[in-house]
Amino acid sequence: MVLAKDIKGADGGVFLAAGTALDDAAIASIAALGAPFAYIKPNPAFTSPEKDLQRIESFVRYYFQYVDPDSPLFNELFRLVMERVFEASQKGWAIPCEYERQAKSVEHLHDLFFRDQGASLDLVKHETSLSSFPDTYFKIKELLDSPASTAADMAKVVSADVSLAAKLLRLVNSPFFGVAGRVDSISHAIALVGVSELATLALGISAIKFFKDIPPELMDMETFWKHSLRCAVFGKCVASLLPGLTSERFFTAGLLHDAGRLVMFKNLPYASVQAMLYARSSGAPLLEAEREILGFDHTEVAGLLLEEWNFPAELRSIIAYHHDPLLSPAPRDAAVIQLADILACGVEISSTGMYSLPGMTQEAWNLLGLKTYDIDKLIRLHDKYFQELTSVFF
Amino acid sequence: MTLSSISSLTLRKTPRISDAEFADLRGFIYDVTGIDIPERRQYLLENRLGARLAELNLKSFAEYSSYLRRSPSKDKELVYLCEKITTNETSFFRDSKQLDVFRDFVLKDVLESLQQDGRKELNIWSAGCSSGEEPYTLGIMLHEMLRMSIIGWRIRISANDISTAMLNKAKDGVYNQYSFKTTPQEMIEKYFTKEPGGFKIHPKVQRLVSFAALNLNDRMALKRVPKSQIIFCRNVIIYFDEEMKKKVINAFYDNLLPGGYLILGHSESIHKFSRVFKPIIKPGGMFYRKEG
Repeated sequence: MVLAKDIKGADGGVFLAAGTALDDAAIASIAALGAPFAYIKPNPAFTSPEKDLQRIESFVRYYFQYVDPDSPLFNELFRLVMERVFEASQKGWAIPCEYERQAKSVEHLHDLFFRDQGASLDLVKHETSLSSFPDTYFKIKELLDSPASTAADMAKVVSADVSLAAKLLRLVNSPFFGVAGRVDSISHAIALVGVSELATLALGISAIKFFKDIPPELMDMETFWKHSLRCAVFGKCVASLLPGLTSERFFTAGLLHDAGRLVMFKNLPYASVQAMLYARSSGAPLLEAEREILGFDHTEVAGLLLEEWNFPAELRSIIAYHHDPLLSPAPRDAAVIQLADILACGVEISSTGMYSLPGMTQEAWNLLGLKTYDIDKLIRLHDKYFQELTSVFF
Repeated sequence: MTLSSISSLTLRKTPRISDAEFADLRGFIYDVTGIDIPERRQYLLENRLGARLAELNLKSFAEYSSYLRRSPSKDKELVYLCEKITTNETSFFRDSKQLDVFRDFVLKDVLESLQQDGRKELNIWSAGCSSGEEPYTLGIMLHEMLRMSIIGWRIRISANDISTAMLNKAKDGVYNQYSFKTTPQEMIEKYFTKEPGGFKIHPKVQRLVSFAALNLNDRMALKRVPKSQIIFCRNVIIYFDEEMKKKVINAFYDNLLPGGYLILGHSESIHKFSRVFKPIIKPGGMFYRKEG
């Protein structure tokens, strides 16, 4: 037996290197270290391309167990994800074992309240009373709401926040946004993209700053924001395929679609982990596990949070209904982000994905008027732009 | 190896469960076990049980329903079904904060009042004990609190679960690393011995616990459980609908001796459908007391 991946020691250094032959003494030393598992190289006598593909199939099927197995959308996504995981594994990506995919122990974390001793609104009130929101946000919001404001006013406010302005310029200059020529000032950006579109992007980016001090045991923040950014990219791409939609607000909606989850992680860490464990073992999507364990879910929390912040109503309803678009006042808009979220979860199966994909009803899918072959196109667009955009945000 | 075999894959691998078959199976599971399967889990149920149909050589979910009702091995099949639709996520000292508060407020109070009355007889009921981690954890806590004086006590921890497979594992008392993810190291060293298959619970803890199969929807069986001072039922009622929750909570109320305590899972609450208990809220844990 040969070790396939390094085993880390207590100090984080390499305890046993990949390629070490595992004799009794080596196995005993791993046991003494207390490592719960180790990756070993497959024995060539027991592997074959067919077996590899079977393993990949059963791994990928886990993520699709909750959705309608006759849905053309999910069948297409299933095949595309299979190809993706297959390619990743050819490049050396190892399918994570069950132990790795379990949520971590958070026995030391405290919740704000017990089940039914508080509700989603208490969470939001508690959160907004603690942290102050970035000033720039309110100034932008004020200008957006005032009919007398001009593009020059907006440019002045946004330019005053140096880090925000820099991010916006990098974003607008990225090939993803595809504006012609180099944009070197906020007023130039406004002239190209439009006041309200740029302001919406600025709202989203400045809101990200609000979320800090999330317990790292629950969720690695990079993983969280990468998922949000993927959803933003997919949101804008889906919207660009539909006639009559300005796509910038879908980028912002994608960035903030799971904001409610961060408020839950921070204030109800223990219950949030119970929900994660429950989702993982029952095969239900995290959304449904939240509803069962906490009595409410992250879309409800996000809806209240964005209301508290006085977010533009159309953005608020996209985010609050992105799992139930048919209940939204603007169902098609919410369906855009529902699909974007599902595609983001889909492409993450070959990296950080943990939970069953949430479903999407045929009615919601029909609202978009897309064809199943568009899914492939959308994923290609995502792959083309995502990596480069991460450098704007992280 | 090419990718061509992937392009012919489809998600559907099982016979389709019709709405009528789903309603029937769902109703059957509810009537027999009290477990409520939400309607939105139709595909999940189809998926989870699909492979079982093939194993049993059945062609439809209607055939599976009649197998559950009429086959000679229907009892065994019901247990299998329950394992497929519930989860058995558990570990020693799970929710350690709640257990600390339980020890300092509830257990201390109960032991002291029994001692004052000169009746050193303690009954604890662990309802939904899964593979035994919870009742054994309680046994360890009692050894830690009472130390040598435990020999003067008559202690019985009645541990029940619907799954005989889980109960067999519990009776064996041998656990792997995963069961210890929330367990303090010194507790492992003190109460478990290393064996080739994992860690075995010490017989002095094991002898405090009696395991038996029990269906929480079986009213007569509930009545046979010895009256207790403390009931643990963590992460079980989450599978029940409100009516079944009410039934079970009432059964717990009847089982508890006056002044007894009910302990639920961290995220479970009976607030909405029962006011017979007095909720006691402490930082880190919440309990329900039967006044008297």
